Amino acid sequence: MTRRIPLSTLSKKSTARRNLLGGASVIAIAGLLAACGTAPEDDGDTGADGGDNGSDQVPCMVSDAGGFDDQSFNELSHDGLVAGSEAHGLDPRTVESENDTVYESNIESLVNQGCTLIFSVGFLLQPATETMAANYEDVNFAIIDDDQIVADNVKPLIYDTAQAAFLAGYAAAAYTESDRVATWGGMNIPTVTIFMDGFAEGVEYFNEENGAEVEVLGWDVEAQDGSFTGGFEANPEARSMAEQFISQGADVLMPVGGPIFQPAAEAVLDAQGDNPHLAMIGVDTDLTESAPEYADIFLTSVLKGLAVSVEDTITEAVNGEFNNEPFVGTLENDGVGIADFYDFASDLPDTIDADIDELRDAIIDGSLVVESPSSPSI
Amino acid sequence: MRLELRGITKRFGTFTANDSIDLTVEAGEIHCLLGENGAGKSTLMNVLYGLYRAEEGEILLDGKTRHFASPGDAMRSGIGMVHQHFMLIPVFTVAENVLLGHERRLGGIQGARKKVKELSERFGFDIDPDALVQDLAVGVQQRVEIIKALSLDAGVLVFDEPTAVLTPQETDELMEVMRQLRDEGTAIVFITHKLREVRAVADKITVIRLGKIVGTAESTASSAELASLMVGRSVSLNVEKGDAELTDNALAVKNLTVLDKVGHKVVNDVSFSVRGGEVLCVAGVQGNGQTELTETLIGLLKAENGTISLNGTELTGKSVREVLDAGVGFVPEDRKVDGLVAEFTVAENIMLDRYIGAPFVKGATIDFATRDEFAEQAKKDYDVRAQSIHSPASSLSGGNQQKVVLARELGRELDLFVASQPTRGLDVGSIEFVHKQIILTRDSGIPVIVVSTELDEVVGLADRIAVMYRGGIVGIVPADTDREDLGIMMAGELPKHLQPAAEEVEA
Amino acid sequence: MSNQVAQQAAVPEPPTEDAPRRDVGRELLHRLFNGTPMLSVLAVLASLVVGAILIGFTNPRVAEAAGYFFARPGDTFAALWQAVSGAYISLFQGAIFNPNRMDSVQQVLAPLSTTLYYAAPLIIAGLGVAIAFKVGLFNIGGRGQMLVGAGVAGWVGFTVPLPPVLHVAVALIAGALAGALWGGIVGLLKARTGAHEVILTIMLNYVAYLGIQYALRNPDLLRNQENNNPVSPPMMDTAILHSLPGFRVHAGILIAIAVVILYWWFIERSNLGYQFRAVGLNPDAARQAGMNVGLVTTLAMAFGGAFMGLAGGVQVAGQVTSGFTANIDAGIGFEAITVALLGRSSPWGTLVAGLLFGAMRAGGFNMQAAQQIPIDLVLVLQAFIVLFIAAPALVKTIFFYPKGARS
Repeated sequence: MTRRIPLSTLSKKSTARRNLLGGASVIAIAGLLAACGTAPEDDGDTGADGGDNGSDQVPCMVSDAGGFDDQSFNELSHDGLVAGSEAHGLDPRTVESENDTVYESNIESLVNQGCTLIFSVGFLLQPATETMAANYEDVNFAIIDDDQIVADNVKPLIYDTAQAAFLAGYAAAAYTESDRVATWGGMNIPTVTIFMDGFAEGVEYFNEENGAEVEVLGWDVEAQDGSFTGGFEANPEARSMAEQFISQGADVLMPVGGPIFQPAAEAVLDAQGDNPHLAMIGVDTDLTESAPEYADIFLTSVLKGLAVSVEDTITEAVNGEFNNEPFVGTLENDGVGIADFYDFASDLPDTIDADIDELRDAIIDGSLVVESPSSPSI
Repeated sequence: MRLELRGITKRFGTFTANDSIDLTVEAGEIHCLLGENGAGKSTLMNVLYGLYRAEEGEILLDGKTRHFASPGDAMRSGIGMVHQHFMLIPVFTVAENVLLGHERRLGGIQGARKKVKELSERFGFDIDPDALVQDLAVGVQQRVEIIKALSLDAGVLVFDEPTAVLTPQETDELMEVMRQLRDEGTAIVFITHKLREVRAVADKITVIRLGKIVGTAESTASSAELASLMVGRSVSLNVEKGDAELTDNALAVKNLTVLDKVGHKVVNDVSFSVRGGEVLCVAGVQGNGQTELTETLIGLLKAENGTISLNGTELTGKSVREVLDAGVGFVPEDRKVDGLVAEFTVAENIMLDRYIGAPFVKGATIDFATRDEFAEQAKKDYDVRAQSIHSPASSLSGGNQQKVVLARELGRELDLFVASQPTRGLDVGSIEFVHKQIILTRDSGIPVIVVSTELDEVVGLADRIAVMYRGGIVGIVPADTDREDLGIMMAGELPKHLQPAAEEVEA
Repeated sequence: MSNQVAQQAAVPEPPTEDAPRRDVGRELLHRLFNGTPMLSVLAVLASLVVGAILIGFTNPRVAEAAGYFFARPGDTFAALWQAVSGAYISLFQGAIFNPNRMDSVQQVLAPLSTTLYYAAPLIIAGLGVAIAFKVGLFNIGGRGQMLVGAGVAGWVGFTVPLPPVLHVAVALIAGALAGALWGGIVGLLKARTGAHEVILTIMLNYVAYLGIQYALRNPDLLRNQENNNPVSPPMMDTAILHSLPGFRVHAGILIAIAVVILYWWFIERSNLGYQFRAVGLNPDAARQAGMNVGLVTTLAMAFGGAFMGLAGGVQVAGQVTSGFTANIDAGIGFEAITVALLGRSSPWGTLVAGLLFGAMRAGGFNMQAAQQIPIDLVLVLQAFIVLFIAAPALVKTIFFYPKGARS
């Protein structure tokens, strides 16, 4: 895992996405060690082109400026692309965007490579995707985290993560001993604050149900404003924000914004000596599994089913069922959810699993409505 | 130690800086290497010192062939060099400077202190090993350089233009030291272009011109003989000029005081006047306020006190632009730094201080035709040896660069001409030319101020001489004042018998 | 003695009189920006060679074939050749001409059109660095100046209704003026207080970036009121630099060429440009010649900022007209330094360097899509170009360039 640490201001991007030089030396050394191996028998034309399983689909993906190693939605979407392609024996193509101004060129270059289904990752690609979808009507597009485009060949993939974050907020409120929990974001943008809204509402619901007074630091639902690190980099600012909330007495922390969880996790590890009850909530993916070095501190994670939805969209295309119906990830269709409590289950009330299940059902059947201004409008 | 150079040839591209030079310096001999700037003296010494590698030829010390890959090699073999620009670290003590780079050989700081004391006693230098170099007078700093070279038991000592920064008295003392070293058996190479010094101290003289040895001479040779050897033709060493015909144009400076950044008085209550038709030479050892005086005259520095007026117009506090526009022509002392843009062509340099309006600019665009025409004419009139007016100034020799500066400054209507060190670093031929131009300017009725540290030049050009010491004017005396007395004045004292004369001239 | 020796030995020049005393930073800048054109060409070639090595070593098929190198060495070389030639061919096809896509005029010209599209702001911004350098100033504030220019030009573009042509012109001029102000502050502070322009420009980059970010979150300033994302509203149709139908390239390239010509006239022909060069080459001599060095410094940074601001305007009026984010500068402010370096700050050199970098951007997309080589390779190539220009001795050694040869 590479951390995003801002280099000098001269660098265009905070880190190189693929360490060419590092990779080169590793491969060179490996090559030297193994150079005595035997040559493969078959000298046929089995290149890296993958097999032909009857489908002529070429699934492709354009990242936003975060790149595919952002430990966040770009990476998760990419995982889905890889998994979906493997499942159907397809050869995917990807391009990373170095900044916000190259999306059209990147999409077009994929079209020129014969892509049949192009995923645009992130709302920032909306204008470019809309333009290109109009220019290339015989190519299908899917755009993640945006529902603004209405076109026959564009499928929006959006996620009502507020629903899942609500459950996490409820669990956090049940867990806290200091009656203080905190959430903060990378930037004040809807795809981030939707988590924070759901979280805060979950805490509020717990308070109402149990007559508790758990306080949420870092986010004000009414004002739609709160604490942000100003970017999606694992930098010292992200760490000091975590330290600030710890010193204010919060014992459950939910940083929303890809890699910014790393410095926060470091801060939590350092502070656990004083307060062993400190815990964090992960977002996007189950961080207990994907970040094992921090597994001990994650109460749970709010899951955003990016990989699954990308994979499903590929399957639809392979089966000739591609459509422009928006996919909205909800608790109901498992497009969002929360992860297991693992070892933390023992620190929570015995009824927690039942409570969570009950809440989930209530949200699914509509008797409980989680409202966020950032929730999908469809 | 006996030094022998055999057939040294050093080329830079197609240019041959040294052309099979043979030179032998015996132990206990002062050997003068005489030549104009750019003749190849410094190149030869840099070959000897290991800075350059010669294409051909060999270096022998006491009959053994040596190869020096670096100055370190040369030093270890017993070659020492006293550079024109001191290679000392100002904030280090004398001992630390001597130690620098030879920590082991001298045995640490204590060893270096002992060595400094020992050498300083032997030559009567009176140098405190713990004094900071920046606190020492220039002449003393040079002695530190000498000690540094001797501390490594140098058998051959090269002095590269060592007198440029010294007063006449300090120069005499240096020569005494050189004789003493010679008597102890050191082989001394003395590089200079000052004929007077050569004749005073040399045992043998070798003259280099255009990279070749053109002759040897005894110290009894006359200056004129040596000069013609150097230049390759007979030259007139005296400035020919008639009596001053004073006009009504005048520059008047009254009670001028200038402070430096830290508040020291670098020009201290200076008053003088210059009339049209005369040359006032400002003499003195370098660094006694002459630079600041001229820079204040043209508006680069602000006067703390006092007034400058030209033909009744106040110049005090005016910007450089305004002063130049008031008709002041200025030749700065360091032409490479202040007088020219080296990367600019001759033509571009010609318009350096006339970049707005006529004659070279129309509207916002440069009028290339007019400018080039002017530059061609200047090239012809001032005999600027350049391939064309579009050659960069950096490709010109020092003398030709100075001609470009003169052509520019004398090319407009002037009411005052100030030339600072106008012939520094120039060859004899160019000096002759520059002096002629200065006298022509004087004779056209313009007040002329020449600042020079070369006594010969001062005496040759001046109608009156103002000697500066520590920012003040010691006295203003007639041009025929005895050299000895001028030397005393440069050290800050006004000899009694000159006092009435000085007052008279000043009035 | 080693110190002394090293310093002296480092100057293998024919003996001259006293070397002019210059400050080291200025000297270094001067060397960087004044190489010979040949050096620039060799630096590009050398970096392409380095790029080829990197492509070869990171290619999985090459690694695979190298695994049995001694059994069948031909495979390794074939794989190497395929990887490297594939990369550079796709780079070429994306930037210049693609023989596989010749169905229509638009398709044939599409690569060139994309190259010109990306070159336009690079050229203009490159001149923003070049002009400051002419005065011996290092303008690394391109990012801030571009952002300010983009912000103001964008605001004019989506709020002030004006007739076509006039609207885009007003927007671009407003952007240039904003950039000029942003750069001019630096020049003024430098001239008045001696503060170093590098520090000032870096700090103003932060101020501009965070300022734009703030404005993009505030619906009363730059944010699109229709949604919550930190993106500006799209430009009005009248404020867009339009292109011919089917082509990406827009009028921005014409503006870039016009600015190159303006810059040429200014530097080579105008008397103010003459003063710029004199101050840049030798401020002492310029001062003694009566030039107002402080004023020239201020103007140089203001002009540099104006070019940058104009480049920012082209970004919002031409490149991303659907609404911009705080990253609208797209790294051009810094890439411009490389462009100016490679172009040796000359008008035509900067034009050519800008076109080359535009081509590398355009080809980079194709290379990434076709060969799955990360776009970072293009950045690495650019980084090596700078490195080779900064270390001319290295290039000369690589190409057996005559040592003594001087510009």
